Amino acid sequence: MAGARSSLGYLKPYRRAVGAGVAMMVVTNLCALGVVSHLGQAIQAIKDSRAELMPHIVLLLIGFALATAVTRILSRVWIFNAARAAEYDLRSDLFGHLMTLSPGYYRDHPTGDVMSRLTNDVQTVRAMWGAGAVHLANAVTSFATVLTMMVLLDPVVAVLSIVPYPLIFITGQALSRRIYRTTREVQAELGGLSSRIQEDLGAIQVIKTYGLDQVRRRGFLAASQRLLDKNMAAAKVRVQLGPILNTLAPIGVAILILIGGRAVIHKEISVGYYTEFTALLARLVWPTLTLGFMLALVQRGRASWARLVELQAIRTDIPDGAGPALPASAQPAHVAVRDLTIRIGDRAIVDRVSFELEPGSITAIVGRTGSGKSTLVEALCRLIAVPPGAILLDGHDITAIPLASLRGQIGYAPQEAFLFSTTIADNVAMGYGGGTAIPAARARELERAGALAAAVDLSGEPRVNAAAVAAGLEKDLVVMPDGLATIVGERGITLSGGQRQRVALARALAAMPRLLVLDDSLSSVDAETEQLILGHLRAVMHGRTAVLISHRVAAIKDADQILVLDQGQIVERGSHEALLATGGLYSELYRTQLQTELGVTRKEAV
Amino acid sequence: MAVTAAGPIGPVGPRRPGLEAEAVLGKAYDVRLMGRLARYVVPHTRLLVAWGALMLVRTGFEIAQPLFVAYVLQHHIIGNSGRGVIEALPLDALAYIGLVIGQNLSSFFEQWLVQLAGQRTMHDLRIAIFDHVLAQRAAFFDRIPVGRLMTRMTNDIESLNEMFSQGAITIIGDVIKAVAIMVVLLASDIQLALVTFVTLPLLVVIVEYARRAMRTSFRQIRVRLAAMNGFAQEHLFGIRVVQLLGRGATAQREYNEINAGHRDAYLLQIRADAGMYALVEAIGYIAIGAVLWWASQHRLLPMAWMATVPAFAGLIPAAIGLVTRFNELIARFFEPIRDLSAKYAVMQGAMAASERIFQLLDTDELDGAVGDGDATKPDWDQPVPRKPDRSESAGPAVELAGVHFSYGAEPVLRGVDLRVPRGATIAVVGATGSGKSTVIKLLTRLYERDRGAIRIDGIDVRDIPLAALRRRVTVVSQDVILFAGTLEDNLTLGVPYTRDQIEAAVRRVGLDRALARRGAGIEAAVAERGANFSAGERQLVAFARALLRDPEILVLDEATAHVDPEAEELIERGVAELLKGRTTLVIAHRLSTIRNADLIIVLKKGQVIEQGKHDELVARGGDYAALERTFRRQTTSE
Ligand SMILES: Nc1ncnc2c1ncn2[C@@H]1O[C@H](COP(=O)(O)OP(=O)(O)OP(=O)(O)O)[C@@H](O)[C@H]1O
Ligand SMILES: Nc1ncnc2c1ncn2[C@@H]1O[C@H](COP(=O)(O)OP(=O)(O)OP(=O)(O)O)[C@@H](O)[C@H]1O
Ligand SMILES: [Mg+2]
Ligand SMILES: [Mg+2]
Repeated sequence: MAGARSSLGYLKPYRRAVGAGVAMMVVTNLCALGVVSHLGQAIQAIKDSRAELMPHIVLLLIGFALATAVTRILSRVWIFNAARAAEYDLRSDLFGHLMTLSPGYYRDHPTGDVMSRLTNDVQTVRAMWGAGAVHLANAVTSFATVLTMMVLLDPVVAVLSIVPYPLIFITGQALSRRIYRTTREVQAELGGLSSRIQEDLGAIQVIKTYGLDQVRRRGFLAASQRLLDKNMAAAKVRVQLGPILNTLAPIGVAILILIGGRAVIHKEISVGYYTEFTALLARLVWPTLTLGFMLALVQRGRASWARLVELQAIRTDIPDGAGPALPASAQPAHVAVRDLTIRIGDRAIVDRVSFELEPGSITAIVGRTGSGKSTLVEALCRLIAVPPGAILLDGHDITAIPLASLRGQIGYAPQEAFLFSTTIADNVAMGYGGGTAIPAARARELERAGALAAAVDLSGEPRVNAAAVAAGLEKDLVVMPDGLATIVGERGITLSGGQRQRVALARALAAMPRLLVLDDSLSSVDAETEQLILGHLRAVMHGRTAVLISHRVAAIKDADQILVLDQGQIVERGSHEALLATGGLYSELYRTQLQTELGVTRKEAV
Repeated sequence: MAVTAAGPIGPVGPRRPGLEAEAVLGKAYDVRLMGRLARYVVPHTRLLVAWGALMLVRTGFEIAQPLFVAYVLQHHIIGNSGRGVIEALPLDALAYIGLVIGQNLSSFFEQWLVQLAGQRTMHDLRIAIFDHVLAQRAAFFDRIPVGRLMTRMTNDIESLNEMFSQGAITIIGDVIKAVAIMVVLLASDIQLALVTFVTLPLLVVIVEYARRAMRTSFRQIRVRLAAMNGFAQEHLFGIRVVQLLGRGATAQREYNEINAGHRDAYLLQIRADAGMYALVEAIGYIAIGAVLWWASQHRLLPMAWMATVPAFAGLIPAAIGLVTRFNELIARFFEPIRDLSAKYAVMQGAMAASERIFQLLDTDELDGAVGDGDATKPDWDQPVPRKPDRSESAGPAVELAGVHFSYGAEPVLRGVDLRVPRGATIAVVGATGSGKSTVIKLLTRLYERDRGAIRIDGIDVRDIPLAALRRRVTVVSQDVILFAGTLEDNLTLGVPYTRDQIEAAVRRVGLDRALARRGAGIEAAVAERGANFSAGERQLVAFARALLRDPEILVLDEATAHVDPEAEELIERGVAELLKGRTTLVIAHRLSTIRNADLIIVLKKGQVIEQGKHDELVARGGDYAALERTFRRQTTSE
């Protein structure tokens, strides 16, 4: 697929290990033959009562046995390690790729399914690489040696005894296709189940408070049952493989009894030849079984690989800008939006919007629920695809600016605060590229080395502290025993709603951006804290361009310009006073707030 | 027990609640694990019995084949009278094919049955884990990453399933077979048997070493896999922020650190597996060599030696068939042992996975049990009157008395007293982080108070079954979560409301207008977590679904924080009539919502510092009055 490496491509860097491993495997099988032939000699010696030959034969036998052991260890270690290494590469590539896919992709695709591909499917592919290679090597060498010996003994009977193999090949093919298909169904079902689990676990508070356990359980039960059914459907095909192949393979023995037996009776071949052949044909059973294993493994691996290719083939709809990065500048940003339209489906969520953000100015965006405010500011950071030329930052088309450079100019606090399960300080520091979401494994290593505190403690960082203060977190932090070094739960669930929102705000402020974008960042804080933050913000926004979205008059009334959105269009613009005077949507929207909070009637307000 | 003193899922450090790694378990005994696993297998005993029977049949067919070939050779090809019987050969060939078909037919059903038993067991186990996890209290989920729980329910189960699907469960049969062969060896010829057994101590040492190495390795693997999945899960979930902050590359680097740990955890397992597989095989060969050598040096009794193999004991071995049978012998003798080593790794992996699973099933932080409150237990089998007669009940609708609570070390609520008379609307205000939402979480028993009492209608909440409690109290919480599906699913939450009821609720909160603007109806598709709806729209949905439940006590925790003022007003008007006579607890930061409440409670640092009506509180000139002034100042232009 476009740009994606092929499955075997991942093994390529390790081809020498795999090649050496397979070669070793062949040697192992040859040594095993050596062992068997010496066993035969030993028995012959016993039969002939030639005890004096025994030490020699047994020593050789032991030698071959040891050689089998050594070569087998080497081959397995090499092959399986190569498969692991390739698995590492595959995982790393996939994860890296997933990090580039746009938020839109994750909205339309359940995360649980993506996770399932990243774990279950990768594992199946690895099994194809590792165990698949081992079985392949085994099958090939066993067939090769057994067939060679047969041909050496008697080509005619050898040919007769492998008559069933074309048949085996055809059935193997047909079954393979069915294994592939059923496995894909299983994997899809597994992805669905993962999605359910992850959705339920993420929504546990709602499930508990609304007593939805039974409803969700029913859904889970059904999904689990479906997985069971698909698994059984796949198993049915898979377990057919061995028996069918094993029924076909011994047809050779039947032919041997018929033709070889006749030949013996007619004294055309000796009884010794005949028995030798029976023994050799019996040896075809194991390779045939191995062939079955290999087919199943490869088909399952292919099915999973197809799912991974599907994932890798997806290209983000927000490609990196090809132009040069913006030059470093301390000046507030200038933004021009020209006739911007953003469609989702056939609905224009942002509809022919044009406005300008003057450097150093404060712009408020207001509008009804669902009017397109969040979508509009997401467009500024290119979190949603925008047409080229519609948005200019300092005169540069933002679709041409590299994403890192563009987003580096912007400090954006999204409407829904998302925190990583690390310290508050880390979360804030991430705003300016510091901090780390410490993977648990690494945290453990660091802890052991006693370096954890030093590595993660960013709470002394002045930039972090200043941002925390500006976001009004001071009061909350003093109550927490670890202050800024407090670790928050996943998504920040161990903080109060307002605290979470303010940590996200602090993160945006810590970036000291040229353009500050706050989407409803004060909705969950009380009036007093709001007042405090607004006071800080006035200082922070000085020398920056700022965009505020809010439903609170207090937050927007001092803005240089207020844009009123309705159904994706800008229907009014101007200052607070001017808009109130016009008596349009804005004054309509804020009438009640002004009334209750000011105790004034509409007329007075106007 | 696998549960350590530090907590059921690894040590829970006070400093890293969300990140604490899963500790590698101490020594747990496979027998005990198998015993626990057996409980899930037992319901499928019938399948397993059938499977065992088929295994015997299949083995019969399998053993019969070489015997039959030998018989044909002896009686029909060489012939008893020195002359072959050509006429018998076609029938022989057919009979042979019959044996083969018999073997493979039973083999198919045998494998299919074990798969079925395995899959059904896994299904049961999945459900058991799901039920168990969902029954845990909220604090459990604060601590355990979602990705890790997912790993338990998918990857670990899969790994356990391999035990069935790769036939590792037949390991028991293999062991029995090996022991049986040993017994027969001993019974037939003690000397030769002892020579064979000389290798046994070596085998035991190797197997024990491999067991330890593999188990250590697999335990690490399970832990790291969970860590890796947890990390990925978190980053996929927060992909917007990841991209916004340009953390993609950093995240990949961090992910790879765990990824590498996961890969390296396999090193030991790969070596142990290869070593065991190869050495057991080699020792087997050497044992045969030793026996042959011994026999040749001391006895030269090939026939007696052959007799040690049960399958051939009854046969009069013909010298000509010697080679044929000897090859068979090697195969039969070593198959179980070689199989054993091949299945051993799968087995150890499955055991490590089941350790993790049972450890999770051992966590006992169950959601509140009933009957540990202070009141006498009422009869909950009786239907609860939805709006109990005022005169009948013993106390206010909701009452908190001296409630203390802390999530961890720091007290969050410090003696909260609160009474909500039936039918009243009460507003709780206070700075962010003052403990407002916590009060609600205690009321619905998401968390358990440390001290004090919480009563509904005079009955301690701990005496009310959880389901009943949560049916009576409906919360619109601060964080709105929608489920993937349709809007209608999200509104009804599985209860069959009529179309009219749904539409009425939708209209009341003004969701109909929002939807009309969006050009959608209640059949609209909802993406995971409601990501295709705006924050305000999601809140309206949450509000509407709460109203649909027509609860006895309605709790609104900043239920309109993201909604525009017009819609907020609309809701107030639309809902007012519905709230009349209903006990309502409102948490809000906006004056408009608060001022009309029957009672306003001001919470500060976990304590109630003021309460009263709006005008009273303003007149008193305390904290609330200051708050009210803030509102006024904000809205007035300076
Ligand atoms: N799950 C949790 N684990 C640990 N601490 C918590 C948890 N939830 C809340 N807290 C802490 O308890 C305190 C009270 O939180 P709560 O959510 O009750 O505040 P709140 O009054 O609702 O604030 P807000 O107005 O911001 O929603 C906060 O300091 C918060 O950090
Ligand atoms: N992926 C999507 N598919 C379909 N519709 C969408 C999608 N994402 C957003 N919308 C719709 O686009 C509209 C604008 O959404 P947006 O989040 O920008 O609103 P908003 O103005 O920020 O609202 P709020 O004040 O509630 O936050 C909403 O009606 C929303 O339902
Ligand atoms: Mg929005
Ligand atoms: Mg709260």
